[in-house]
Amino acid sequence: MAAIVIAVGAAALLPPPLHLAAVIIALFATVALVVTLVPAQSPDGGVPIVESAGHMVPVAAQAVAGATNAGTIGAANETTASLAPVAEPDLTGVLAALPVGVMVIGDDGKIRAFNAAAGELFGVSAERARNRALIEIVRNFELDRRVTATLRTGVEETGELPYSAAHERYLQVTTRVLGGVEGRRSALVIIADQTRMRELEKLRRDFVSNVSHELRTPLTAVKLMVETLQSGVEQPASDEFLGSIAQETERMIALVEDLLDLARLESGKLELRLSTVDIGELCQHAAQAQARRAQTLGVALECSAPEAPMKISADRDKVYQVVVNLLDNALRHTPSGGRVDLAVEPGDGTVDIVVSDTGGGIPSSALPHIFERFYVVDPARARGPSGTGLGLSIVKHIIEAHGGTVEAKSELGTGATFRCRLVAAG
Amino acid sequence: MGRENFHRILEETQQDVLRMGSLVEEAITKAVDALARSDVKAAEEILRADDYIDDLNVLIETNCLNLLALQQPMASDLRTIAAMLDIIIDLERIGDHAGDIAQITRNLANEPHLKPLVDIPLMAAKAREMLRESLDAFSHRDAQAAHDIPRKDDEVDRLYRKVFAELIQFMARDPKAIGRASNLLLVALYLERIADHATNICERVVYMVEGVPKKLKRSVVEFAETSRSSEEASPAAAEGGA
Repeated sequence: MAAIVIAVGAAALLPPPLHLAAVIIALFATVALVVTLVPAQSPDGGVPIVESAGHMVPVAAQAVAGATNAGTIGAANETTASLAPVAEPDLTGVLAALPVGVMVIGDDGKIRAFNAAAGELFGVSAERARNRALIEIVRNFELDRRVTATLRTGVEETGELPYSAAHERYLQVTTRVLGGVEGRRSALVIIADQTRMRELEKLRRDFVSNVSHELRTPLTAVKLMVETLQSGVEQPASDEFLGSIAQETERMIALVEDLLDLARLESGKLELRLSTVDIGELCQHAAQAQARRAQTLGVALECSAPEAPMKISADRDKVYQVVVNLLDNALRHTPSGGRVDLAVEPGDGTVDIVVSDTGGGIPSSALPHIFERFYVVDPARARGPSGTGLGLSIVKHIIEAHGGTVEAKSELGTGATFRCRLVAAG
Repeated sequence: MGRENFHRILEETQQDVLRMGSLVEEAITKAVDALARSDVKAAEEILRADDYIDDLNVLIETNCLNLLALQQPMASDLRTIAAMLDIIIDLERIGDHAGDIAQITRNLANEPHLKPLVDIPLMAAKAREMLRESLDAFSHRDAQAAHDIPRKDDEVDRLYRKVFAELIQFMARDPKAIGRASNLLLVALYLERIADHATNICERVVYMVEGVPKKLKRSVVEFAETSRSSEEASPAAAEGGA
């Protein structure tokens, strides 16, 4: 994004009492926004130069002074010439275009300026907000209190503020004092919506906590069994412990591999090795690989595919992983005596891989979340050790990396159907 | 006190009513949120914040009485002051109900949830929306909006009946759930009352703007229907409620 430079010296051109230029300067000083109307590049021509607010004032002053002394823009030196077109910027327009909410509150508590971003945050137009008391427009006691405190005492503060209207949001609110005419002060309020940032932080925290939990549980079991073995357990108990240790280790390896796969998929670093794949043959192969497990669980596993080859352009290993993950998920949630069907269904220029089961189904409240990392609907309903909660997330990423879609349909008590749609090879 | 001063104080007092309203609005959401998360710390904060609401109540009442005593206001100004004196009573009661819900959160802190709350947060959101809109109507002197808002009370009452039926089901199935279910029943009742207080505020706005006292139509919770629907409600339906 090209940086934009504004000749802040143009403040002199603006009439009081709003002092929009002063608002902009204070804004820059607070949020360190970069400002110029001329694209600025770094010496290597790559990353745009970011100038701090502190640097901008002398540059802008120089620009204005240069233009004034020379009398004409054309006579200005090289630096001022490049800045000359911004000698009279439309600061109201700049304020309106800023992506953060900006308000100016007069010493009578009335809103004097209110930009479009603030309007979006609070659901009020600038026209409606202007000259109204802040509390009438933004019905938040804490925000009103902070602004009132800044107006009365000159105390400036920055802090987060929960704001709930239709949805709970987290706002970063900064209040600053603006000097006005005859010593009457105004308050500049800058508001940045931090809700998305908060959500990402929560995702990160949950992720770390989930991974720690998933790794710690088998590790604790392994540690205890090793300690027991060290204390001198004899066969056949020792064999049982060694079997359990091997099983737990496999679980940890599977988790780490899933995590690495997911990390590669999410960072877009996974390179698909595309080849022409017969999806029918791939599904038959995957079903055969899971046949023994299905038999052990007492679940009938059937695979149906058209006899004619169904060709898609895909990374064979990755699509195989998709089918295995879906079958694993279905087998995990289908009781003994139930069935799991894997089908390949041709469509109009597409091929669907459909996995359906006769398990307990997924509650409608859980359906939107099942492709999220570590989301497990109800571990108590799964058969045997619960999954890592990553399998379906990996499915979604792989299918989407192939330009396809995946959807799940289910009703409680009637099983679930997962449908992956991929583009057929031309 | 000159007329200019009078209007300045009147305007500031109206803003204080909105300040009190915003505190009360937040208290409703926070109280139900704390209940859903069994967050005792948040519940105690709500109980402490009730003091601010009470302080504002006293400040507004004092200002209104001073304006009445010293300025002998007439017509619209007189009705505005009278409306404010009524509105703050409703706001104070709503604040108390939020405090009651916070108290229930404290009482239930060591008991497991009967189930995740679904309809109670919906009731809280709807009641809060009614309160916000009624205060908007006050702020904008919008009598038409004040006439329309009480219709939303039907939805709150419908949810109340649903929650009532479901909680009765829980109690019938498991006597050990009676303590927790009856507390949740009280929460639903408080939220239903909050919506009624919002309707009261609308009535005061209509009076303030039109000068004619009016009882706005409000729905009545039919308990006969409630008990019948509780008998008809299937156990499966009870899974997704409260």
